[in-house]
Amino acid sequence: MARHRTELQESSPDGKPPFHRKGIGVSPGIAIGPAYLYARISFEVEKRSIDDDKLEFEVTRFESAVRKAERDLHKIIDVTREKLGEESSSIFEAQLLILRDEAVYPEVVKYIQSHEVNAGYAVQTVMGKHRQMMEASDSEYLRERANDLLDIQERIVRHLRRGRILSAVEEETIVVAESLTAADIILFSRRGILGCATDFGGPTSHVSIMARALALPSVVSMHGITGEVQTGDMLILDGIKGELIVNPDEETLAAYRTMQERYARLLQRDKQLLHLPAETLDGHRIQLQANLELKEELDLLAAYGAEGIGLFRTEMLLLMEGKVLVTEEEQFENYKNVVDVASPGETTFRILDLGGDKMLPMGHREHNPFLGWRGIRIMLDKKDLLIPQLRAILRASIFGPTRILLPMITSLSEVREFQEVLTSTMNALTEEEIPFNPDVPLGIMVEVPSVALMADLFAKEVDFFSIGTNDLTQYVLAVDRGNDLVAELYDEMHPAVLKLIKLTTKAAAKAGIPVSLCGELATNLRAVPVLLGLGITSLSASPIYLLAIKRVIRAMKLSEGEALAKRALSSSDAEEFKEVMDNWLDKHACGVSFFLEGNVA
Amino acid sequence: MVEKEVTVTNRAGLHTRPASMIVRTAAKYESDFFIQKDGFEINGKSIIGVMTLAAEQGAKLMLIFDGTDEGEAARAMMDLFESGFGEVK
Repeated sequence: MARHRTELQESSPDGKPPFHRKGIGVSPGIAIGPAYLYARISFEVEKRSIDDDKLEFEVTRFESAVRKAERDLHKIIDVTREKLGEESSSIFEAQLLILRDEAVYPEVVKYIQSHEVNAGYAVQTVMGKHRQMMEASDSEYLRERANDLLDIQERIVRHLRRGRILSAVEEETIVVAESLTAADIILFSRRGILGCATDFGGPTSHVSIMARALALPSVVSMHGITGEVQTGDMLILDGIKGELIVNPDEETLAAYRTMQERYARLLQRDKQLLHLPAETLDGHRIQLQANLELKEELDLLAAYGAEGIGLFRTEMLLLMEGKVLVTEEEQFENYKNVVDVASPGETTFRILDLGGDKMLPMGHREHNPFLGWRGIRIMLDKKDLLIPQLRAILRASIFGPTRILLPMITSLSEVREFQEVLTSTMNALTEEEIPFNPDVPLGIMVEVPSVALMADLFAKEVDFFSIGTNDLTQYVLAVDRGNDLVAELYDEMHPAVLKLIKLTTKAAAKAGIPVSLCGELATNLRAVPVLLGLGITSLSASPIYLLAIKRVIRAMKLSEGEALAKRALSSSDAEEFKEVMDNWLDKHACGVSFFLEGNVA
Repeated sequence: MVEKEVTVTNRAGLHTRPASMIVRTAAKYESDFFIQKDGFEINGKSIIGVMTLAAEQGAKLMLIFDGTDEGEAARAMMDLFESGFGEVK
């Protein structure tokens, strides 16, 4: 399996054996530099007796650690507020208060003095007592807050220990960690680190999005990497292929240095494409839009030449602290801002898509979440979530072209039920004399096979389709791509997936409605000619990929795409035609093959 | 001593942000500040205390102020509760 460690022949300059590890590349780019192992693992603090005359000093050490923790938090709050908004920073503001809390600070001082012990042990005991109480609570909210206490406790202890503290992260290192929080990555990027590799995390986790927004090459889901890398090991981090090479030999290092330069040149070269249309050599114009979810990403629209937003995921905006806290008014302000920036391009708001691998409200848990209560199924059951969101989107629709997209549709009855809610919401707004655009297009995600198979019927009742290849692939191949044991069976270019895409584009063309594709498949450059050949006329992807996609489009003829698509559809598996497509890319699209997974070196 | 009864009206209850606001407001005054809920009393100047209440929307609380500036403290705290902690309803 790909994730297994592969020993290389040569050994590195300092004699340690080199090895490769695979993960998921979540932010492209190549970083070369020494590792910094960042441990967030909680460590037990040993109990030490402190002599009478040293107690004063121990209290001073505690005070100084608290002050350093405060400084950390102020920095984190500033950046979080700027990057993620007021609501997200409130958690850190609360942590700031905890540091000086009457139930913490004086208690720790008292504990040090009365038990004559070291500050670390006192912190652990006092905070531990509060934490245990919270963890034992019936309230989900309170149990989550126990993590805040743990965060604070660890931060103080780290500062007391002086060792593995944040400030020890050196510039020009690649951070290796079990997992990182958004706060960690913000602090790291300020310190000028080169990239990140983590044991856990996925492409859509918050930290991955932050890494992309900060252009920090990152690889996640490298299970066990923290156990194999030591601080100071030389690393090559390839955020494109999702790979880490530990202790590379001279030859590999040189090859990657060349590649790093090529990549920088490529980015430079792609900038020239910014104002050119995404048009095939035989004159077919393709629409390129962006997938976004944070308001901080809005700047990327212009930077990468996106023609509007093909998919705006609303989960991040709506879910704060694990609860839906954002009111209609706050949603409206946010949506209005998004629509305003994207205009004259359109903004496609996907209705809150909870469940599956995303959190469910009220701590609800399921055995089989991907086949359970998720997406539109939740929203139709929970009108108190749906209606405020719908009202906010409709109110924002007067500020620029706006579309509504429904996630996880499986049957026509769901579309009809939603339409009833939409109509009554519009009626209510009219009655309240609140302006909105009554002609907001309503579309559905095509991500469940039943919808693709019945696309002709759906096409008569909705205004547009958006194909979500990530879920579509999971459902049609019955593979959970997060499960290492079967992940290799997951293939977005499987002919069965392509056949469902074809059914969808055919039905859309017949009904005269637009169809776009917004899954990760759009960022797989070898797939782009095939997708166009299958009749896709609009692609939506993370903005950083748009220029590379445009380069491929401008190098191809639609007729070539159609020939490739025909071949792909009649193959027995994807392996059969991957090589054909790679060769095509190499020949035509000058250098973009560099972006392809598994194609470097 | 001043005692005031309040109902938590904001949607999410006394979650992290309102809890912080309560503690910060209480800290501005000399007076001691306690909150009672279901016969359980916590120090209202401690964020851990306020979070431990886990007061949800609709919860009834007794606010107790005791000290030289208890009147002002009570007024400021009542204003805060009545404003719904700045959340738009």
